[in-house]
Amino acid sequence: MFKVSPEIYKVISTTSRYLFAFFALMLLLFALVWLYDERRKRRERLRYLPEAGNIGEMVVISGSDQLPVDTWFPIPREGVLGSLRSCDLVVPCPGVRARHLAFSWQDGTGLIIKPFSGCETFVDGVSLLTAEKSDMPVMVHGSCLRVGSAVLRLQLLSALEHTNRPFAPAGSSQEYAGAFAAQQPQPGIPFPQESLFTDPRVPGYMEQPVPIEQQVPTEQPLGGSPADAASLPDFSPDSVAVPPVQAEQPPVQQAASRRKRADRWKEDFSE
Amino acid sequence: MNRQKSSPRFRFVGAAALLVLLALLAPALREGDQRLYLLAGGVTGVMLLCMIVPARLFSLDRLILSLALYLGAVGILSLAPANPDAALMQLLRCSVGVVALIIGAMIIRIITPSMLTAGISSFLGLLFLAGSLLVRDLPFSLTEAALILMVISFSSLLACHSGTVALIPGLIGTVLLLLQGMTVEAFVLALTVLLLLWSADGRLGIVLAALSVFVAMFWGAERLGYLPALASAEEHSLSLSTLVSAGLFGSGEAAVLPESALPVSSLLYPLSENYGLVFTGLTLLLYLPLMLRGASVAGTARSRFHAVLALGCVLIFSLRIPAGLLAAFNVLPLPLTPLPLLTDSLPNLAAQMLTLGLLCGISSVNEADLAEDAHLAMLAK
Repeated sequence: MFKVSPEIYKVISTTSRYLFAFFALMLLLFALVWLYDERRKRRERLRYLPEAGNIGEMVVISGSDQLPVDTWFPIPREGVLGSLRSCDLVVPCPGVRARHLAFSWQDGTGLIIKPFSGCETFVDGVSLLTAEKSDMPVMVHGSCLRVGSAVLRLQLLSALEHTNRPFAPAGSSQEYAGAFAAQQPQPGIPFPQESLFTDPRVPGYMEQPVPIEQQVPTEQPLGGSPADAASLPDFSPDSVAVPPVQAEQPPVQQAASRRKRADRWKEDFSE
Repeated sequence: MNRQKSSPRFRFVGAAALLVLLALLAPALREGDQRLYLLAGGVTGVMLLCMIVPARLFSLDRLILSLALYLGAVGILSLAPANPDAALMQLLRCSVGVVALIIGAMIIRIITPSMLTAGISSFLGLLFLAGSLLVRDLPFSLTEAALILMVISFSSLLACHSGTVALIPGLIGTVLLLLQGMTVEAFVLALTVLLLLWSADGRLGIVLAALSVFVAMFWGAERLGYLPALASAEEHSLSLSTLVSAGLFGSGEAAVLPESALPVSSLLYPLSENYGLVFTGLTLLLYLPLMLRGASVAGTARSRFHAVLALGCVLIFSLRIPAGLLAAFNVLPLPLTPLPLLTDSLPNLAAQMLTLGLLCGISSVNEADLAEDAHLAMLAK
């Protein structure tokens, strides 16, 4: 095979000793720049996705001095609730233990609550310590969780309702009747009168009148007069629990599943 | 004309491929050895191919993959000038390591935190450790693989149960390592378990109790004589003189180290001998972005299992680096241990690549979750 004379090799060797060190320095710098660049891109991406990683929020209906009413927590897909600062959901209320319960989100089912040993927990009035394993209630949109003296209501991200994941409460809504009847009803987010979809590329979309029986009741905004309070919708768990999807209901917008591998290939090649 | 700006990835991959090619061509020009020419083309080609195809096929994290491949190639570079046959063997080991990395990335999509996962990984990990204890003259070491399995078991148990249950396999594993006299590995496992417990469980009482148990174990092992004598002064002076003998920029000659100069299967010594301390130091600094990336993957993981597992992989991988460097530079009288990916032991290299594969897989899951979140956000608008 091809080889050079010792004199030429000596020049190559001397040069390469410094050249390789320079290359190693460049590689280190390139790797650090690459790392920084990826972090920056991820941060920018997350800026437009403030709810990334969360499934919704817990709103405090009844709390304590350290946990005022209407405080809300973002809910990650799984974590631990307790009074300890290292918990994912810190609920500093009497009766809440350092690590009270673990929760995890399961697609198609809801938020599954697993209380730790001896930690009394109620979901929509049903005690999880005494409930049968087969009838263990899960939390869906509007479900109420009671731990110690705190009562929290789960509000899922609206996008989760647009997916093709059916949410059905585990138990009948009649079982929850009266469980939290004494709670102060919390007005929800006002539903807009006009259509949210104003994309001109879709003419007439969402502009047809919706039948009365399918319309979502318009709720009153916060801070209404006492007279208006009587007309507030009933937010007892009976009405809050989302019923199973019925056949006569308008078809839910189907969400596309995760991106196909072919799409990723397209993105890769587009680079 | 608009000038297209190259991405940091292309710059890194290009520079790494060029460096490997030149570093292998230089000795080939002197010797005219066909094997060195084969290595120059083969290593560069395989490296470029692996940086592109598996990353796209299996959605691997490209930074971790590129750094792992480059560090693997540096291991080949360290052997090539003096011993082309050993370099060819190292190339084969690295190829097996790449397969292990891909397997690790695939495994992460299969395993879920459950008692079954914890049971199987605990059983295999403890079996490997007990096997090494029972068969002393085993020609290969399964300790690295056992440590990874223990981390998987710990993560799974921590995700399903409390930290106290998850501690049990870690404690048994530490005892088995201490019985074999593997102080550094036992220390790495104990520290990893403690840090994971602290980060995932958070209860100071449990962490302190675990710490006291580990301290009692090490104290008992030392009392009972299971801890081996610390490295001798001769061994350290030999390793240190080997490291610094080539100077800052290398001697320019192919260094053939005697067998006695390589007390462990570490490639740090031939690397330093052939390319000098500056090149070696800058190469070792590449562990830093690897660790930072691993920590970032752990921090952005959605599930508790993935977060704990990624953090455990980073800790198991990175805690060996200071131990190896402190021993090599005679700062602490620790037994000399090879640095991650710079070893000529196939089981160790495969286990370390598997660790990085797990990180790549978790990173891929994170990206998929983020893409799904973006999709849901688009639906919500």
